[in-house]
Amino acid sequence: MAKKYVGQGIPMLNAVEKVTGTMCFGADFTLPGVLYGKILRSPISHGRIVKIDTSEARRLPGVAAVIAGPELDLPLFTARGQRIDDDRVMVKDKVHYVGDEIAAVAAVDEETALEAIKLIKVEYSELPALFSPEEAMQPGAPKIHDHLPSNVADHIEYQIGDVEKAFAESDIIVEDEFYTGMVHQAYLEPQSVVAQWECTGKVIIWAPVQVPQSLRYSYARALGIKPEQIRIIQCNVGGGFGAKQECKIHPIAALLSKYSGQPVKIVNTREEEFMATFPRMPMRIHMKIGATKDGTLLAKESRFIGDNGAYTNYGIGIMVSAITRHDNLYRIKNIKTTSDLVYTNKPATNAFRGFGNPQSHFAFESLLDILANKLNMDPAELRLKNATQTGDVTPYGWKIGSCGLSECIEKATAKADWQRKRQEKKAGEVVRGIGLACCLHVSGNRTFLPFFDGAAAFLRIDEEGQVTIQVGEPDIGQGSKTVLAQMAADELGITPDQITVINVDTSSSPHGLGTFGDRVTTLAGNAVKDAAVKAREVIIKYAAEKLNVPKEELEIEDGLIKVRGKSDLRVAFKDISQIASYDRGGGTIQVTGTFVPQDVAVVDPQTKHGNVSCAYPFVAQVAEVEVNKTTGEVKVIYLSAAHDLGKVINPLLAEGQIQGAVAQGIGFALFEDLKLENGSTESNFRKYRIAKATDMPKIDTIFVETDDPNGPYGAKGLAEPALTPIAPAIANAIYNAVGIRLKELPMTPEKVLAALKAENN
Amino acid sequence: MRNIQITVNGTGYSLLVNEKRSLADFLRKDLNLIGTKIACNSGHCGSCNVLVDGKLVKACILPAVKADGKKVLTIEGLATPDGLHPIQQAFIEAGAVQCGYCTPGMILTAKALLDRNPDPTEEEIKQAISGNLCRCTGYVKIVEAVLLAAKLLRTAERSGQ
Repeated sequence: MAKKYVGQGIPMLNAVEKVTGTMCFGADFTLPGVLYGKILRSPISHGRIVKIDTSEARRLPGVAAVIAGPELDLPLFTARGQRIDDDRVMVKDKVHYVGDEIAAVAAVDEETALEAIKLIKVEYSELPALFSPEEAMQPGAPKIHDHLPSNVADHIEYQIGDVEKAFAESDIIVEDEFYTGMVHQAYLEPQSVVAQWECTGKVIIWAPVQVPQSLRYSYARALGIKPEQIRIIQCNVGGGFGAKQECKIHPIAALLSKYSGQPVKIVNTREEEFMATFPRMPMRIHMKIGATKDGTLLAKESRFIGDNGAYTNYGIGIMVSAITRHDNLYRIKNIKTTSDLVYTNKPATNAFRGFGNPQSHFAFESLLDILANKLNMDPAELRLKNATQTGDVTPYGWKIGSCGLSECIEKATAKADWQRKRQEKKAGEVVRGIGLACCLHVSGNRTFLPFFDGAAAFLRIDEEGQVTIQVGEPDIGQGSKTVLAQMAADELGITPDQITVINVDTSSSPHGLGTFGDRVTTLAGNAVKDAAVKAREVIIKYAAEKLNVPKEELEIEDGLIKVRGKSDLRVAFKDISQIASYDRGGGTIQVTGTFVPQDVAVVDPQTKHGNVSCAYPFVAQVAEVEVNKTTGEVKVIYLSAAHDLGKVINPLLAEGQIQGAVAQGIGFALFEDLKLENGSTESNFRKYRIAKATDMPKIDTIFVETDDPNGPYGAKGLAEPALTPIAPAIANAIYNAVGIRLKELPMTPEKVLAALKAENN
Repeated sequence: MRNIQITVNGTGYSLLVNEKRSLADFLRKDLNLIGTKIACNSGHCGSCNVLVDGKLVKACILPAVKADGKKVLTIEGLATPDGLHPIQQAFIEAGAVQCGYCTPGMILTAKALLDRNPDPTEEEIKQAISGNLCRCTGYVKIVEAVLLAAKLLRTAERSGQ
């Protein structure tokens, strides 16, 4: 059947609410009788709490509850399914970074709550603080978590093939060290929550989150209660990018509600966002690659050190993704990797668009550029020579069902006029250069969640023919509600605006794992498609009875069920919906769609072997920059981005994903840096600069449709890999322009000038 | 506390306001107009931009008492019962909206620009919205939306609407 809506760039279905200001986001949500919560955070990086006195805060008029970690016996916990219990909702006796939650207050208004926070007196006994993982790994370094064996949260070491032999056979070996800094997701809507602890022991949490169902499990352990006591109602999300998962303000609001007897609302300030939420994990990466003279990659050896920050969250999964994923981009058979994930007295890092991948690809794709240069080979040719292809089974056991990497490289370079611009004469004060980088990603990821894979959808057709769909994957602003409605519309033969995909409520939605790992379009999409196909069968059955024809002769188009080839025999979708509903005593048509990808496995803990995803997207991007040799400033002036996303469901939204990723990628590459000042990362949008409209280059987006066998209509993930190659593409372009190799992000004017100076000496 | 007389989206209010309360908090908490968003509360992101007597202001750093006697336009005042404002229509059609949190401030910034410059260049639009942060879209489609809105507004004017 020809697709009418899949493939069309229809505007977001809920855009009207957004442009009229009527959409209620998490930060806008409230309840009658709500109190406002504020949190007392640690002013020191590392130390013991000797004494805490909350009595004065409790006496302040308007204060309904004061809770303090040292006064409550809160259990250790971590994010759902993760291995190391190293966190508490509020600290018990020791603080681990500037921003650590110590106590909280609920009061009639924010001003009173803030005043009460200032009245809480804490006496600390300071301990030496560790700000670099290298320092924290040293034997004898002070331990950040008393109950754990050392500051190394996780150590990984594995080898595939024979690395020693392969290096010995290599004609050329390149080796270097790279560093990626601490950057923040910087979504515009701050983390926020309203919680209500009912006297029955049930807790309801309203929050803008990506993983509602999983939060029940994380918070049950954090609060020492049962998952069935917790209901999460997802609010509209004003941007997430990986950060809106577990966040301690949610269970803190729940506790404040328990002790005050009223609902409690907490909204982070922007300063708290930068100080105490979940930046990207900084990584130091040492990498070595061996190749033959003709550019065949033979061997690779890497050492990764990840700066975990104070708590692990999904840190082990991030590290495993970082160290393994990029090895599947090219045909390289001999691989040796070691990694350490190390605690420091800094904010706990966590997921951020790419999940470790932007870090590793910065190192890998920069080093490949170095190799191409040494081989005197076109970097595009080097990549094409080694590119993974459709049908490959990689050394990690990844089954590549579709791969448009070569086509992406060819199209991105052609569009950017690569050959000519690369060889342009490089002279003057402001010099142009061009660089290429590639990446791959997953569409759902079994690296770090053991429970299950796949997705489910509930689809309901009411007596007016209106369709409601529930999935476990929230729309976090990227427009997944629209994309899922397009798929269902095509299967049901109705228009997308008759379909509403609603927010997740854990008491009624499917148990979905949530929105992360580029899993929504592929996994939830397949589930929605399955549900729509099943619902269509029910509609067709009733229509066949009504029209008195065999159901095989029926088709649905534009809301009409017709007998194929006979224009006069028809009945409206809406009328059949009513017949079906009345026939069932008012029970609407309700079906469950499911998708469990076949042949996908959890990664083996030792070997890291396992087909982690059912579909792998590929990307090639070419950046053109201008480097000002006097000021050191780098401006990205052009970007061509070729994406193998399997199939474009909605080109308007897909372009938006790529353009948004470019903005984040430029920030990551050139100026975003969450700096420590006196141990604190407290910041605001003046100090922490994100890309503005004037920073944006011209962008050409190219879609390469490889029709993945496992994706719905062939679709794979898009949003995360769109960011990954940007920083190395810019670094490679800077090298092409002025011959300097920048190995640390962000590539600030100071670093450019220092490298230019070193190059001239 | 001070009594202020203020007109918001055509409705007059006479209210007692704390001198320290920002216009953004006043709109959101006292008038329940949640369309004005707070993202930084320090005047660095433009999410709270509203028009006061036709001039673009950052409502999070302007005390509400400073708007005494003035006319405020927020995102809620842009559409009419007959339909969306052309700028809103253009933002939808151009795909300039993703999460939507920066959108109200962005649309009012666009309105301030188009009120004084009905036919801006791409560069002028980029400059005009450079004080508005968006983390989702990369601004490309927002610039396209403002160009489209300018065209829609000019067409509407020519047809005498």
